[in-house]
Amino acid sequence: MSEHKNNGSTKYLNPYFGGVLLGLVLIATFFITGRGPGASGAVKSLVVETVDVVAPSHAESNGYFSRFLADGKSPLNSWLVFESMGIFFGGLLSGVIFGRIKKFRVEHNPNITSKTRLIAALVGGMFFGIGTQFGRGCTSGAAMSGTAVFSFGGFLVMVGIFATGYALAWFFRKLWL
Amino acid sequence: MKEELFVSGRNIPNIDPYLHLWHWEIPLYLFLGGLSAGILFFAGYFYVMRKERDMSATIKLAPLFVPFFLVIGLGALFLDLHHKLYFWQLYTTIRFESPMSWGAWTLMAVTPLSILWAFSYLRDVFPNLKWPYAWLDKLEEILKKYRKAMAWVLMMLSIILGVYTGILLSAFNARPLWNTSILGPLFLVSGFSTGLAFTILLSKSKYERKVLTRIDLIFIFTELFFIIHMLMGLQAGTQVSLEAAGLFLGGEFTVTFWVFVVILGLAFPATLEVLELRGYHVPGWIPSALILIGGLVFRFVILEAGQITRYLY
Repeated sequence: MSEHKNNGSTKYLNPYFGGVLLGLVLIATFFITGRGPGASGAVKSLVVETVDVVAPSHAESNGYFSRFLADGKSPLNSWLVFESMGIFFGGLLSGVIFGRIKKFRVEHNPNITSKTRLIAALVGGMFFGIGTQFGRGCTSGAAMSGTAVFSFGGFLVMVGIFATGYALAWFFRKLWL
Repeated sequence: MKEELFVSGRNIPNIDPYLHLWHWEIPLYLFLGGLSAGILFFAGYFYVMRKERDMSATIKLAPLFVPFFLVIGLGALFLDLHHKLYFWQLYTTIRFESPMSWGAWTLMAVTPLSILWAFSYLRDVFPNLKWPYAWLDKLEEILKKYRKAMAWVLMMLSIILGVYTGILLSAFNARPLWNTSILGPLFLVSGFSTGLAFTILLSKSKYERKVLTRIDLIFIFTELFFIIHMLMGLQAGTQVSLEAAGLFLGGEFTVTFWVFVVILGLAFPATLEVLELRGYHVPGWIPSALILIGGLVFRFVILEAGQITRYLY
């Protein structure tokens, strides 16, 4: 570990070992909280809270937003929000320990600009966000937690996400390669 | 005719059954007071230790912000007052048994002294600055001669200021959460830790950051110990104390307190600081920012939670 402190190299875990660790996280989450982890739920809570602060009457009258405001509690008071904060700070700690944290930068393919990278990421993220709400969850909440409990929907989401990813990757390869 | 008869011995809105008088102004003031105390103490300490050259952010730069912090804090306090025009009456008496009297007089001394300290270093930080009047040059010369005396006085007053932000609350014997003598030392170490974090944020010297980070770690661990000590003390108390501790041990403030104060405001930044001292690259502003946010949240939580603790009847 210590050789990565100052020599500027970037160290990542073996992806298969990382996958095993992720599986153990999944088991631990089920064991501790009684349900599987998710990520899109936290973003959704943040969106609902923002709408509720900026335009409370709209949030109340909107069929989708009002569902998350019905009990009178703040949508941010949700375990998924805290779990996502944990992901952020845990990722930060991992970055520090394995020497991945350097100067603030946007990583991208040398053939495209940072701006293109950021716009592509934003647009992709928006598509993914919309998709998660149709699919009732993202790669974590629907695919990972879903398949962990042998939910058919979970398998479908998993196949759908990765198959679409593989099918469309060629068209957008210039954003990555 | 329908008659309704209300019999009640209590009708004290915002005080009974729960105190609901203090809002954002007080915790902000307590935070800025503690932060200022921390900055001033270490400015004085390292000046007396003759580290003026090595610790320039601590001695020269950070104290420039203190007068602003104190003025904003006192402004918030003033906003909270109901009878604003009578605030001067605090200065018509000295009462040793009143924390507010201690605070009022300490601030009366610390605020101008912090301005003088900052003034004496202003041209060190901004070398191109020229005073428009000759008397300002003279004043600067005089102040430079008395820096050592100012440093000692600032150190002593900043300890009183730091403790006072805690005992202001612990003097409320009707509020079981606040009514513990650990609150004074707890607020002192928390204020010193935020002061160090702020100075680390400003410092560009590797040596200075290392020294301050080491001291900050001691304060963070002491603060964690005091927090545990506070909860242990409450847990060993009477029913009202148990209920007060319960607010943080499964009650309303559990998540806010443990997540934002203990984990993200103390334990996590301490971990990052340890890693930084061991040679790992950590973006310097992250632990400092977390400590500052944690310190602010801590005062909001203690203030909010303390107001709803009460004696049974």
